[in-house]
Amino acid sequence: MKVICSSSGIIHPPLPRQGAVDIVNAGFENMTLELDMCCPSFELECYGKWEEYGETIADRKRISEYPAEIGSFYEKILSVCNEKCLKIPVARGVSLPRDTKRTDLKEVLLSIHKESIRFCRKAGCSAIMIRPLYSDGGIEKEWEINRDYYLQLVDVARENLVMVLLENQCCNRNGHMVRSVCSDSYQAAEWIDELNRAAGEDRFGFCMDVGVCSLCKQDMYEFAVTLGSRIKAVILRDCDGQQEGSMLPFTCAYGGQAQTDWLRLIRGLREIGFDGNLILNLQDTAGAFSPLLRPQLMMLAKAAAEYFKWQIEIENMLKKYESIVLFGAGNMCRNYMKCYGEKYPPLFTCDNNSEMWGTVFCGLEVKPPEAITKVKGDCGIFICNIYYREIEQQLKDMGIEHIEFFNDEYMPSFHFDRLKEV
Amino acid sequence: MWQIGVQTKNVIDDSNPKDGFEMLRRAGFSCADFSLNSYLLNTSLYKFELNDFFNKSVNELEAYFQPHKEGAKSAGIRINQMHMPYPNYVPNGKKELNDYLRDVVAPKSMQVCAFFECPYIVVHGFKLSRNLGSEEAEWQETGKFLDSLAPLAKEMGITICVENIYDMIGGRIVEGPCCNVKKAVDRIDRFNEKYHAEVLGFCFDTGHGNLTSLDFEKFITELGERLKVFHIHDNDGIRDLHQIPFTFTKTRENTSSTDWEGFVRGVKGLKQERVLSFETAPVLASFPDEMKEQALGFIAQIGRYFAERI
Repeated sequence: MKVICSSSGIIHPPLPRQGAVDIVNAGFENMTLELDMCCPSFELECYGKWEEYGETIADRKRISEYPAEIGSFYEKILSVCNEKCLKIPVARGVSLPRDTKRTDLKEVLLSIHKESIRFCRKAGCSAIMIRPLYSDGGIEKEWEINRDYYLQLVDVARENLVMVLLENQCCNRNGHMVRSVCSDSYQAAEWIDELNRAAGEDRFGFCMDVGVCSLCKQDMYEFAVTLGSRIKAVILRDCDGQQEGSMLPFTCAYGGQAQTDWLRLIRGLREIGFDGNLILNLQDTAGAFSPLLRPQLMMLAKAAAEYFKWQIEIENMLKKYESIVLFGAGNMCRNYMKCYGEKYPPLFTCDNNSEMWGTVFCGLEVKPPEAITKVKGDCGIFICNIYYREIEQQLKDMGIEHIEFFNDEYMPSFHFDRLKEV
Repeated sequence: MWQIGVQTKNVIDDSNPKDGFEMLRRAGFSCADFSLNSYLLNTSLYKFELNDFFNKSVNELEAYFQPHKEGAKSAGIRINQMHMPYPNYVPNGKKELNDYLRDVVAPKSMQVCAFFECPYIVVHGFKLSRNLGSEEAEWQETGKFLDSLAPLAKEMGITICVENIYDMIGGRIVEGPCCNVKKAVDRIDRFNEKYHAEVLGFCFDTGHGNLTSLDFEKFITELGERLKVFHIHDNDGIRDLHQIPFTFTKTRENTSSTDWEGFVRGVKGLKQERVLSFETAPVLASFPDEMKEQALGFIAQIGRYFAERI
C-alpha cells in the first residue's frame, strides 16, 4: 500500500518549495498532483462568462481555454519534486463544483482531461481520478453520458499508461449533500466492469472518497466490499458528515468520539485486502493551522496515514512471526482470541497481575511476564493493553525483543459486553 | 385518488379513542397508522425496562383495543398500517428480555394487527453490524426474527414491512438496517418465494431517507411493488425530528432541503396506489393542544397536495 499526501492546501504552486519540503520532512515519499490548482472548479463554472469573474483569473492564461498550458503551470512543482525525490503516483483531475449548474461543458472538460492524462506521464502518475459527470436525466442517461465520456479517454490513457479512476460523488441539493453518481457501489462496480470490457483491458478503476461516503452517511464496509479490487485509491479525509471538508482524520470529534465511521472503513479495506494508493487529504486542517505549526502538523498527518495502513494490514504483523505471545489478560486479549485466536494461536499470555498467574483466560494460560524470556525462536510479543509504552519499557528493561503493539479498536467483530476492570 | 393517513400517537386517547378518530376524519384523513409502539417504548427498552402491557392475553388485548376498533370504524378511518414496538432485539439486553420481545411482544403485535384487520405491520431490523462485523451478519439475525413471524403473517394475511432506519456513530447518524435498496429487493423476493406468500414488504421512511442522504426517486423506483407503506416526515438532515414536509431549508434561497420532488417522481412510478401516511406525531407535541386539529388538517392538506401531484 502506498501512503500518499495530497498536495491540496500544502503546496502553493507559485512557490512550491516550502510545502514540498514539509511533505518530505514529515516522511512522505509520495504526493498527489492536484490539477484543480491550475483550473479551479469556479473557473469552470464561469467558463465563457468571464465578466462574472471580475479580475480574479483574468490576469493569466486560463487553463480551461488553453489546456496545453498545464505543463508550464506545474513546471516549478515538478522541478522541486524531482529535487526532493518526491514521487507523484496519482493525479486528481479538474472538476465542476458539487452544485454546478453547467451541463454544457463536456467538450471543455474532455479537452482538459485528455491534456491532463498526457501530463500525467510527464509527472510520473500512473493513475488519474476523474469524477463522473452529473446528469439530471435519470440513471440510464447518466450512464450513457458517462460511458461515452470515459471511453473517449481510453486511447490517450492507454498511450500514456495511465489508469482512469472513477470517484463516488455527492451533490448539493438545496444545501443538503445527497448521494449522486457512483455513490451506489453496485452501480459503480457495473460501470467500471462495463468500461473495462469496452476498453478491452483494465484501464478503469475506482477511487473511494471517504469524505463523500461520510457525507452520504454510507456503510463504508459494504461500499468497499462491493467494489472490491476495483478500488485502486482511497482518499482519507475527515468531516462532520454535513458539510464538505478535508480534515486530518480523527480531528472531527464530538463527545470524545470520531464523526467518521473509521471502524467500517478499516474493516472494509481489510476485508478486500486493499493494497492501492492511500491518499491523505488534510487541506482544511492545513489551512486552519498556522504556517509556523505546519511541520509538526505534517508529521502528525504522516503518523495518522501510517496508522491506517497498519490497521488495514494488521494481519501482516501477525504473520511475521513463527510464534506469538500476548501480554495482557483483559478485553484486548479477549478480542484478539475472538478474531485471530484460531488463525494465529498464541503460545500463552502473560500479565502483571499475579492473581491471574496459572489461570486460563480465553483458552490461554496466563503466565508471569518473566515467562517470555524463556520463549525460544522467532516469537513476537504482542502487547494487548492500552498502556503500551509503559509495558514496552518494562519488556525492554527485561531485554525482550520483537515487541509489537496489538490494537482492538477496529476488530472485524466485537463481543456484546466488556469485561469489568479488575 | 391516493388516501391519506397519519400516526395515531398523540391523537388517540385510550380513554376515548372515538373522539381522536373523529378528529382525524375532520382533519381530512381516511387512514391511520396505529402506533402500537406507544405501548412499549423504545426509550424504555434501551434502558432494559419492560412494562406489563403485552402480558395481557390475546383476548385481553382485543378487549382493550375494541373501543379503538369501533371508534375508527364509526369515524370511517381505516387502520391501514401499524408499527410494532421496537427494537425487537436489545443489544446487551438479557436473554429473557430479547426472548420476551421475540416470543411474546412480536406475535401478540401480529394478533393485534389482525384484530384491526390491518394488512401491514412495520418492524425495525436489528442493529448489530458493529458487533457482528457486517450488515450481512446483522441481516441474518433479523431474518431469523422474521422467520419466526412469517408463518403467522401468512396465516393472517399480513405483510411485515421492514423500514429503512439509521444507526449512530459518535452521535452522528449513518445508514442502518435496510438502507441498501438492492439488498432489500433481493431479500424481500427471496423471503416471499420461500413462504409462497407476500409476507415481507417495505416501508419507505422519508425522514430516515433524508438523514441517510438517500436518493428518494432511485430508492422508491427500485423497490417498486415491494413498497407497501410510507412513513412521511421531514427533518433537518441531522436529527430525526419527524416534522411536517417542506419545513426545513439550508440555503438563503429558502428552498426545501428534503428532496420532495424526487419523492413525488418516485411514487408516481409505482403501479399501485398506496396510502400516503405521515409519521408526524412529534408535530402534535410541539403545537399547542388547541391547534392540534389545525396542525393535523395542514398535514392532511400536504398529503392531498402529494396525491394530486402523483
